[in-house]
Amino acid sequence: MKINELTIKSFHAGLMKKDFSAFEAVREFLNTIKEKDSDIKAFLSVLADRVLAQANEVDIDIARGDDIGMLAGIPLAIKDNILINGEQATAGSRLLENYTASYDATVISKLKKEKAVFLGKTNLDEFAMGSSTENSGFFPTRNPYDLERVPGGSSGGSAAAVAGGMALGALGSDTGGSIRQPAGFCGVVGLKPTYGAVSRYGLIALASSLDQIGPFAKTVEDAEILFNAIHGKDSMDATTVESESETSNLKLENCLVGLPKEYFAGGLDRETEKRISEAIQELKNLGVRFKEISLPHTKYALSVYYIILPAEASSNLARFDGVRYSRIADLRRPNAELRGKRKSALDDIYFNQRGAGFGLETKRRILLGTFVLSHGYYDAYYAKAQKVRRLIKEDFDRAFDSSGEGVDLIFAPTSPTLPFRIGEKANDPLSMYLSDIFTIPVNLAGLPGISIPTRNYAEQNSGTSAELRGSLRESASLPVGFQLIGKPFHESDLFEIGKAYESATRH
Amino acid sequence: MPLINEKTLEYLGQLARIDLSGMDEEKMLADLQSILSYFEELKEVNTENIEPMAGGTIRKNIFREDDFDSGLRESAPGRRSSAPVEAFPEKEGGFLKVPQIFG
Repeated sequence: MKINELTIKSFHAGLMKKDFSAFEAVREFLNTIKEKDSDIKAFLSVLADRVLAQANEVDIDIARGDDIGMLAGIPLAIKDNILINGEQATAGSRLLENYTASYDATVISKLKKEKAVFLGKTNLDEFAMGSSTENSGFFPTRNPYDLERVPGGSSGGSAAAVAGGMALGALGSDTGGSIRQPAGFCGVVGLKPTYGAVSRYGLIALASSLDQIGPFAKTVEDAEILFNAIHGKDSMDATTVESESETSNLKLENCLVGLPKEYFAGGLDRETEKRISEAIQELKNLGVRFKEISLPHTKYALSVYYIILPAEASSNLARFDGVRYSRIADLRRPNAELRGKRKSALDDIYFNQRGAGFGLETKRRILLGTFVLSHGYYDAYYAKAQKVRRLIKEDFDRAFDSSGEGVDLIFAPTSPTLPFRIGEKANDPLSMYLSDIFTIPVNLAGLPGISIPTRNYAEQNSGTSAELRGSLRESASLPVGFQLIGKPFHESDLFEIGKAYESATRH
Repeated sequence: MPLINEKTLEYLGQLARIDLSGMDEEKMLADLQSILSYFEELKEVNTENIEPMAGGTIRKNIFREDDFDSGLRESAPGRRSSAPVEAFPEKEGGFLKVPQIFG
């Protein structure tokens, strides 16, 4: 088996048996990136020299007979809005093209302590705003399953890197689905942890009441290994808490899973619907019981999200003023022609740098956020959205309520559609926003959610699928993910049931 | 429903410190308008006596030593005080260089 087809667990075993060295493994990954990434374009930067030196250190530890952990030497890809000391961190924005991080994000220090190695920084929609990675200020990333299609977003680069065999695992950030949706589109596992489970220190903030960092991996078990390495209380992020439980008490045979009727009320495309029902059937075969539940405020989640997110983003992105962090060099002088229009030369710099540095979607959301927070509209939009947000959260509380007929987990599709074509939704922001309809409520309620690829039966019987007409064959070969949503800080429940599904459906 | 017109857009650009010239303003107005129309559905939700939810944070006070840099020491051992200076886009002779704003 090729090294880049291994999982974290089998890589570790290979390393211990000396089947290959960490250095050789990293070199193979760098070769794969060289070979494939000119098409896929998952990486914004590749840290070739640094990563080989890191791998070398792991080999020295092994040669010395030191005990090495599960993540030692594991080649990872990191979304470019997470800071690695001394490396670029653009957040996908032209405005930060020349910014070099001056410290490690907490998740990075934790992974460095485990001796994981970092292959590179991955592409994203600018400041993590988008569902296709087309809003990157640099270039779009392509789906490794079909280069004409998007990998999802905003963490599309991280998802594509893992799916394309260019990293064993990756980190992304999820504000409204930015880990789970691209994981679903690229056929990998993606976890959005509970709000407060993972420190955001060193993550370039988008919407602070929603953002979480989480892992991408090939298997649920690998996602669990990465989550266990990065979670925990951090004094640098006051929202973090010690997680309650590390191991799950949930057993397949007594697991009750809720199916929210609002998520299945039409709106799924045919192939997605088929694969989602097959996944439900697989879980039933394993002894999992399902029960229909209602989350009545689901339909308002999109509106609530697109008020709260732009409001918080417009405030968080105010720090990018073109004076600190990074600036567009040829715009650093005040423009004499505009002097009459602006109050000061300083204002002139802000307007020019932000005007030229931010992309269209970023501007759209900053303007929208500024509007919903502005005098006279605050109560009608922002305050109203915060109230409905509570109602959405209370829907989940009721569904999980263990004093009654509460469920242990909730099952949902990850996305209503298959990965769409590049450019298909680029000019219609609302239809783009709708691709996160099943992931957004989870962020609003602060819950953990994992996207797991459904088993692809059509692919396994490729003999028959070759007979099918072109379009059918095409859609049948694209990945579809399903989502498991858990109680706060019950990530272990997601892993438990996810691993059971995986071992029953993978060979 | 509030209508966003060109004047509102101009004002929002001023508040957000973004130069809007060179942008397709008509398309931006139409997009913002259709997004705001979508939000109209929130009016039908009864939110009387509902407390706004400001975030997912567990609302419990978190304390630390009242000491200038204990927070930094605890979890960011690698952080150097010179780091913000190093990260600054332009420097000269140990000074931070900022664009000319007078004259």
